[in-house]
Formats: sequence, C-alpha cells, structure tokens
Amino acid sequence: MSILRKLFFVDLLKGLSLTLKYNVSKSITIRYPDEEKWVPYQRFRGLHTLNRDAQGRELCVACELCAKICPTQCITVIPMEDDTGMGIADRVAKVYEINLVRCMFCGFCEDACPTTAIRMGREYELACFSLDCAVAAKEKLLAPKEIPVEFEGGYVVKAKFERSKEGIRVRPDLTRKKRWW
Amino acid sequence: MDINTLIEVALIIVKVVVVTMILFGLPIPLTWIERKVAGHIQLRLGPYRVGPHGILQPIADTIKLMFKEDIIPDKADKWLFKISPILAMVPAFAVYATIPFGDKITIPVINKEVTLYIADMNVGILYVLAVAGISVYGIILGGWASNSRYAVMGGIRSAAQMISYEIALSFACIGVVMVANSLSLVDIVNAQKGLNWNVIYQPLGFIIFFIAGLAEINRIPFDLPEDEGTLAAGYHVEYSAMRFSFFMLTEYVAMVTISVLSVILFFGGWNAPPFIPDILPPILWFVGKVALFIYLFMWVRFTFPRYRFDQLMAIGWKILLPLSLLNILVTGLFLI
Repeated sequence: MSILRKLFFVDLLKGLSLTLKYNVSKSITIRYPDEEKWVPYQRFRGLHTLNRDAQGRELCVACELCAKICPTQCITVIPMEDDTGMGIADRVAKVYEINLVRCMFCGFCEDACPTTAIRMGREYELACFSLDCAVAAKEKLLAPKEIPVEFEGGYVVKAKFERSKEGIRVRPDLTRKKRWW
Repeated sequence: MDINTLIEVALIIVKVVVVTMILFGLPIPLTWIERKVAGHIQLRLGPYRVGPHGILQPIADTIKLMFKEDIIPDKADKWLFKISPILAMVPAFAVYATIPFGDKITIPVINKEVTLYIADMNVGILYVLAVAGISVYGIILGGWASNSRYAVMGGIRSAAQMISYEIALSFACIGVVMVANSLSLVDIVNAQKGLNWNVIYQPLGFIIFFIAGLAEINRIPFDLPEDEGTLAAGYHVEYSAMRFSFFMLTEYVAMVTISVLSVILFFGGWNAPPFIPDILPPILWFVGKVALFIYLFMWVRFTFPRYRFDQLMAIGWKILLPLSLLNILVTGLFLI
C-alpha cells in the first residue's frame, strides 16, 4: 500500500487539494481601519463607561468600592454632597478618574459596583499621542457611546477612517454587519 | 535585396521586439498573481493597498527597485558581479527564439501570412535545453563574485542541482521526440493534433519533466540555491536594486519557459481538444494552458516544504534518472 501511495503521490495530492480549498475559501483578514472594523461582544472588557438611569441621573453614588477593589489602584473617586438631583442619591462623584495606563481591564470595578454605574464598554482604540488621554475623566466616561449597549457584538462591520484635527478615529457603520469567518 | 526579403527581415525584427517586450512585462503581473495566490492560500488577502486589490503593487515595487542604491560589496569581483545578472538573464530570453506560440495566422488588412514563432529550428528542443542550461552560469558566477559564503554556497548548490536535473529533463524530452519523430517544436505540436496529446502516451515522461522542471527553475520544493532557511537568500544575497530584479526576472521567465515547454511537449500546444467546438483561436488555447501551468507552479510553491539537499540529489540521481531511462526504453519498445 505504501509503495502505491508513493507511486501516485497520494500525500502530495492531499496537500494540494487542501491548499486549493483554502485558495478559493474566504480570507480571514479584517480590512481595519479603513474598510472594516471588529465590534466586540457585549461581554467585552474595553474602556469603562459611567452610566445614567432612565431619567438621565448619574447612577454613581461615589461609594468608592471600585477604587477599593481595584488591584492596580487606578481609580480615583472624590465624593461630594449634591442636592440638585444630578445623581440618584445625595452623594455624587466630584472627581472620577481612571488611569488607563495602569488599568488592566480585569472588570472587578463593575463587579463591585452596587448601582451598576460603572461598566466595561466596547471601545478598544485607546492609543493616543500624548499622556493627556491616558487618564479618563468623568466627562469622557459619561459621554454617550458610539456602539449602543443593545447592539449584539461579534460582527465585522463596515467602517470609515476619519482624520481630523482632534485625531484619527474609525467610525463603524453598524447597519452593515457580517459574521466574521 | 528585393522588397520581399526586406519585409521578412523587418517582420523578424518586429517579432523579436514584441516577444522581448512581452517577456520583460510578464513578471510584473506574475509577481502580483503570485503574491495574491500566496495570500489566499494562507487565508490572507495579499497585496491590497496600491490600486484596486493591489493591482498596482508590482509597479510600485518596480519603481522602488529602480531608485534603490545599487550596492556592490567592497571585496567582490566587480566585473563578474556586474555582468552575471545579465549572463543569467540573456539565455532565459534567448530560449524564446525558437518557441512557437501558434501556427500561421493571416493578418487581415494586408493579407499576409505570419508565423507565430521567430524561427522554426529543426533542432528546436535541443536548442531550448542547451540555451536554458547556460543560464546557470549567471547564477554560479554571481554567487562566486559576491565574495560571500552564503552566495557561493548557493552557486555551488545551483550547479550541482542543474547538472543532476538537466539530464532527467532532457531524457524526459527524448520520449516526446521519439513519438513525434522530430526535434522541431512546431512538428512536435503538429504531431499532437486532436487529442493525441503526449501526456496520454508519456505520463511518466510528463511527471519526470515536471519534477525536473521544478528543480531547473529553482522553485519550491527544490529552491535550494536560494534557500531562505539556511542560506539567507542564496546566490543573490549580495545583490540589490536592479541587479537583484534581473535575477528575479530570470526566475519568472524561466517559470514561464517551463510552463510553455510543458504545454508544447505534453499538452498539445495550441491544439484544442476535438470535442470542444472550434470557437477560440489557437493562441488563446495556448495562453490558457500556459496560465494553468503557471498557476500550478505557484500552487505547488505554497503547498510543499523544501527538500533537503541530500534528498534532492537522491531524487535526481536514484529515482528520476533511472525512470527517465526506463521511459525511453518502454517508448522505444512500443514504437518498434
């Protein structure tokens, strides 16, 4: 048998048929950033978000549990009294900063949070040219996110690469999605 | 000298210029196709950025190669170093003096019959094998003149490989010559009218020809003269810019040559199979078959790993050479 296999190049032909199959199959390359972009799953642990409730009040009560549980101690919370109703309680965060250089995206903060105020988001393009952006302040964390929470992730979507004075960004077009591979 | 002779001479010059231009231009799309095939076999996309689907990538590469510094090593044999890319390139092109791309066609307006080959030598196949063999001098001398250990190793390997496989290659051709009763490539193609393709009568000969051809043109799995794993880049390790691209040009032209020879010797040249209606011109059949072979070479390249040098020698001397002799013997017995 083995001499016949050698005589008719069985193993070589098997290899050739495999590569031919790959040659006509779809490529797994994601054409990031100027044509496509990967939208992660909902469970993804990217840049943190601070959330609001349905009335638009901040959910964070500045209990500092996230700052205490943080293994890298990258969260700074300074509370203040507030009765204008910007938060759900009388106590809101005066300063809420996450040092993204130190953060290791373990997600303990969202586990610790009693009001589900802090959540790990789906933004992962965190590179920048100066250290200013390394500290995410409260306004940045509270800002509405590009990808809505309801959007089911795990897709490659069409994207546009935009270059402006503020920097570069990849804007996804969530309506044109496809399963990746 | 009368006017008819002048027209004939002018026609030959035009044919030579056209063939040379095509051969110079051919590696440009071929590099792109090769990289695309490589990419898709490895589930990548290949070149994608320059032009739609990276189609202008080879142009960008050519421009880059032209404007790069031409480095000549200090201790190199300067004259040999400069001349050896040309020495490798010229024979690769000279082969096409006798290769037929089709039979006679008639140019419609001036109503003149033109043959689609530069010369129909009565020793065509012999000329092709001999001239293609000279090409290895460029590689050996280039490796020697570089004054680099990697390069000289590549040159030596190339010499040993060429000698071993040239014999099997020539013997595989002899079977075809015996069937066609002629050394002329035009006659060999004409003897394969209909479906009398030599691959049916000479399957063993074709396999030997194909494997030896792979070794002749230094392609994976036999690309030991430029083995990246052990010799960096082999014989052209010290070459840069245009001189390097001459070597690459030689390699691509050699690949086209072996594809063309396979088609002419074993797959009926420009003859269409008889059961397919006669709508395509013969030259398209020829180009199509050659394109299939070129794809086959690329496909093989990105499928198989490289052989070790002792394995290469063993395949050449212990398997291919006896088999090719056997092929001649069996062909002779059938013809008697």
